[in-house]
Amino acid sequence: MANFSIFFFTSILLLPLLCQSFSTANPTDKRILVLLDDLAIKSSHSIFFKSLQQRGFKLDFKLADDPKISLHRYGQYLYDGLILFSPSINKFGGSFDLASVLEFVDSGHDLILAADSSASDLIREIANECGADFDEDSSAMVIDHTSYAVSNSEGDHTLIASDDFINSNVILGSKMIEAPVLFKGIGHTLNPVNSQVLKVLSASSSAYSANPETKFTSPPSLTGSRISLVSVVQARNNARILISGSLDLFSNRLFRSGVQMAGSLTKYPKSGNEQFATELSKWVFHERGHLKAVNVRHNKVGETDEPAMYRINDDLEYFVEIYEWSGTSWEPYVSDDVQVQFYMMSPYVLKTISADQKGLYYTSFKVPDVYGVFQFKVEYHRLGYTSLNLAKQIPVRPFRHNEYERFLTAAFPYYGSSFSTMAGFFVFTIIYLYNK
Amino acid sequence: MARNIVIVFLASILFFCFSSISICNATSSIFNPVSFEHRSAALELFSATDGSFTSLEETYEALRTFQILGVEKKAEISPVACPLVVETLTSPSSNPEKLFNALRVQQILKCGVDADLFEGVASKLEAVIKDASSLLDFYHSVGSLVLIKNEVPESNIVLGDADSTFHSIKALSQSDGRWRYGYSGAESSTYAAGLALEALAGVVSLASSELDESMIVTVKNDIRKLFDSLEKYDDGSFYFDEKVVDTAEHQNALSTTSSVVRGITSFSAVTPGKIDIPGDKILGLAKFFLGIEVPGTAKDLFNQIDSLACLENNRVSIPLIISLPAIVLSLSRKDLLKVQVKTVLGSDAPPVTVKLVQAYKTSAKETPVLENQELKFDPKSSIHHLDLLPLGIDIGNYIFVFRVLLQDPGQKQIYATGGQTHIPVYVTGFITVDSAEIAVLDNDLGSIETKKELDLSKENILSLSANHLQKLRLSFQLTSPLGHLFKPHQVFLKLRHVTEVEHIFVVGNSGKRFEIILDFLGLVEKFYYLSGRYEMQLTVGDSAMENSFIRGLGQVELDLPEAPEKATRPPPQPVDPYTRYGPKEEIMHIFRAPEKRPPQELSLIFLGLTVVPFLLFLVGLLRLGVNLKNFPTSAIPATFAFLFHAGLGAVLSLYLLFWLKLDLFTTLKALGFLGVFLFFVGHRTLSHLASTAAKLKAA
Repeated sequence: MANFSIFFFTSILLLPLLCQSFSTANPTDKRILVLLDDLAIKSSHSIFFKSLQQRGFKLDFKLADDPKISLHRYGQYLYDGLILFSPSINKFGGSFDLASVLEFVDSGHDLILAADSSASDLIREIANECGADFDEDSSAMVIDHTSYAVSNSEGDHTLIASDDFINSNVILGSKMIEAPVLFKGIGHTLNPVNSQVLKVLSASSSAYSANPETKFTSPPSLTGSRISLVSVVQARNNARILISGSLDLFSNRLFRSGVQMAGSLTKYPKSGNEQFATELSKWVFHERGHLKAVNVRHNKVGETDEPAMYRINDDLEYFVEIYEWSGTSWEPYVSDDVQVQFYMMSPYVLKTISADQKGLYYTSFKVPDVYGVFQFKVEYHRLGYTSLNLAKQIPVRPFRHNEYERFLTAAFPYYGSSFSTMAGFFVFTIIYLYNK
Repeated sequence: MARNIVIVFLASILFFCFSSISICNATSSIFNPVSFEHRSAALELFSATDGSFTSLEETYEALRTFQILGVEKKAEISPVACPLVVETLTSPSSNPEKLFNALRVQQILKCGVDADLFEGVASKLEAVIKDASSLLDFYHSVGSLVLIKNEVPESNIVLGDADSTFHSIKALSQSDGRWRYGYSGAESSTYAAGLALEALAGVVSLASSELDESMIVTVKNDIRKLFDSLEKYDDGSFYFDEKVVDTAEHQNALSTTSSVVRGITSFSAVTPGKIDIPGDKILGLAKFFLGIEVPGTAKDLFNQIDSLACLENNRVSIPLIISLPAIVLSLSRKDLLKVQVKTVLGSDAPPVTVKLVQAYKTSAKETPVLENQELKFDPKSSIHHLDLLPLGIDIGNYIFVFRVLLQDPGQKQIYATGGQTHIPVYVTGFITVDSAEIAVLDNDLGSIETKKELDLSKENILSLSANHLQKLRLSFQLTSPLGHLFKPHQVFLKLRHVTEVEHIFVVGNSGKRFEIILDFLGLVEKFYYLSGRYEMQLTVGDSAMENSFIRGLGQVELDLPEAPEKATRPPPQPVDPYTRYGPKEEIMHIFRAPEKRPPQELSLIFLGLTVVPFLLFLVGLLRLGVNLKNFPTSAIPATFAFLFHAGLGAVLSLYLLFWLKLDLFTTLKALGFLGVFLFFVGHRTLSHLASTAAKLKAA
């Protein structure tokens, strides 16, 4: 009993040290659980794993049916990320299941999920919960007869070369991926109303998802460029998810393989897979595109203290500093499209804030002539970046009675008439009383 | 039917002809021998900074891999590794494992160690063997002795009591062919079995006299039992794996299999007679190693390459690997069917004949298109080839069934060729597309209203129009290079509305023509009653078709009836993610405009005007001739009258002050005092005036 209580108290003391997820306070925690179908994947996909390890991630490899898998102990997560390279697993080992994967993501952790044509219902369900619907036909693969990779050892055109990337430097890195990415696996679609999920690698318009062995009479459910080969999700809690329909995409074989797209004469000595997978993993594990805003402040022009209240028509200044996590440190984030709103029910002022090179954003504007409780709002949602939602409340009051203009020239005739009447009255009283 | 029976019969005869049972695997995959990719991977994985590795074991693994792959790196490694070897061999604290690794490195590098030093190490090791109690001790010390014996051939190192050593190792074996690491309570393991077999092989080669024949036979039986635990992949490869996953010495399937292969090959090399293991199992093991392709870690690469080197030249049976440089054969390029038969490390096989036993389409397994073709051998490139063009093979996906026959029947015991090998082959070619046309038909009569020819070799920009009572017909013909009707896997007609709603139809074939008739009357609901322009796009593709295409056909303007109220709405279309983000339009607040005021001059003029009545009043008074004769003459009433008017003046001045600066409260306070004062002096003044007036009346 005594032991237990000692343990209990130490664990409470340790609580702040154990990090929950990617937090702006502890961004350097990088423990990742890798679940595999077969330990051979550790060797056959070693380049990908090695690139993660070189970037400082601690990978913990486990078989997906290992009964000792557990994501958390004593209510604390043991890992900051999860890589599911176990497409055919039907049931995870231990108490780990679909709900715990979702809970893990819901608490802001990152997930990489790769499926292939042997994808089990469990894996499909996880992807589905994340917003990607894999083709329901379990024997289907993505086939493309016009943009396949020319190969001597693959003839059924299921090894696709795709270069239809998402146009986003933050997700795929600033260096352009020149060679097409090789993909062999299953396709998925994204729910059009889900704005959290993005297609990173799309199939070409001639692609379709079907079983290459059998003929079909009704059109396949997934066709054309709607097929997403690789998608990413950025949840509202900034958890990031990568869903790939191909596990081979990450394999050493396709990393090293050369690629020549059908109908094209350019032969690339190395496919774009390594760059694609590495850059994507950098994004997923928050080495890019994670923003934080600090030192939000505002004041009247000419003052430095933050007032408790503004009067209508005051001139004010607004400052915010924005930084981006680079994997090792917070770097100033400089962009010309950050906007601040002065908001009450709807924005009264919406202004683009300009930044200096140190990530300090500044703007000034006049408080509108409407009084009430306003908010300074920065809602920064950009493709691939974590969203910034800053709100700071500030009341705005009208003029006080003595703050209006005192002597209006236009009113002088009225004053003049009343004072002349008064003078007349004064004279009249004297004359009236003493005239004889 | 009868023909099928004959085939089955022939096949079964062929089965019996070969002692090995052929692996007929449905999911055939191709295994390629070790290639240059392994070499570049080895250089990458065993990359040591200036020739140093973390341990002697790793140094050995690197050296051995480079040696097998023919990569020359000794010169770089030996300056660093050799001093380490000498140091390990001279150090008295070196355990057998360290000595073993040092000797293995020395064996490859030839560091020039003194023979005396070897003698000393050997005597030390012999002492270790005498009271060794664990399998690893036996393995390392016996292995080291064998290495020393190879190193110094003139030294007559022999195990005096080879029999008892053999027994001590054998005592660790289990009934299922696996071994234990130690005498007390250790788990049995397949990996250990490989180590034990290697140690036993060492004991046999070190023995001064012939060992007991019966003991070797028992070990051979153990090996056979070990093969009962062999596991199999779908592609016909075999491997060993540990049953108990949860031990400290857990090894993966590759290192376990590798250990067993090393054990068996070294044991069979030193013992007389043949170990009775089916050749296809050895071939399956070779396929397992080759199936890994290029491993990602140094350890795995060493295990793979070392095991393949063991298999390359072993006494059980040497696997021969059949591989195709290309499985996609183009009829338009007139590609030959090329087959290579090589050993696992990629060297040439003994003279063999490669036969194409059968070739059938994947869609029609029962009807072979080719049977019993012998491939021609080209000794220059050591490739067996066959020209498919004269054989009338049309384009399509085939399974080719090969058999490798050794030209010297005496070699059947030495080599494992593995019976029939099924390999998928894709024969591709150009498909001719012709008589493509598109027409709009009237529903009732089927009469053609408009008909347009299409050229599917380029984009078309047709413009058609149709209403819901009409039909659209698209038809074309596809012919294979040999003039047959070709049915591609993918023949889609896509109609895309301007709102991005897409409809896809599979174009079927009726007889020779591909034809689709879209009856818009039946499709209005499917089209969500969306009238307007539809883009048409035709996709034809197949893995055997070299000119798969996706072509725009043009537009069709559809005039569909109005949607009834209950009609289903078209599904939401994906939103372009780029438009969802990005800055919003700026909003500036529009301030209330200040009220309009008259010009200042006007106000001042009017100010002047307001004084005019007062002035007129004064002038009027003067004209009337007013006087102040009634003003009290006595001192006290005059004072009160004066104070009264001063008070009135003060009140009026207070109003002026109120306007200029005072607030209401100060004004009211002052007014209060002034009011009381005014009331008093006013009362006195007025009562005085009244009494004066009354006196006047009375008088």
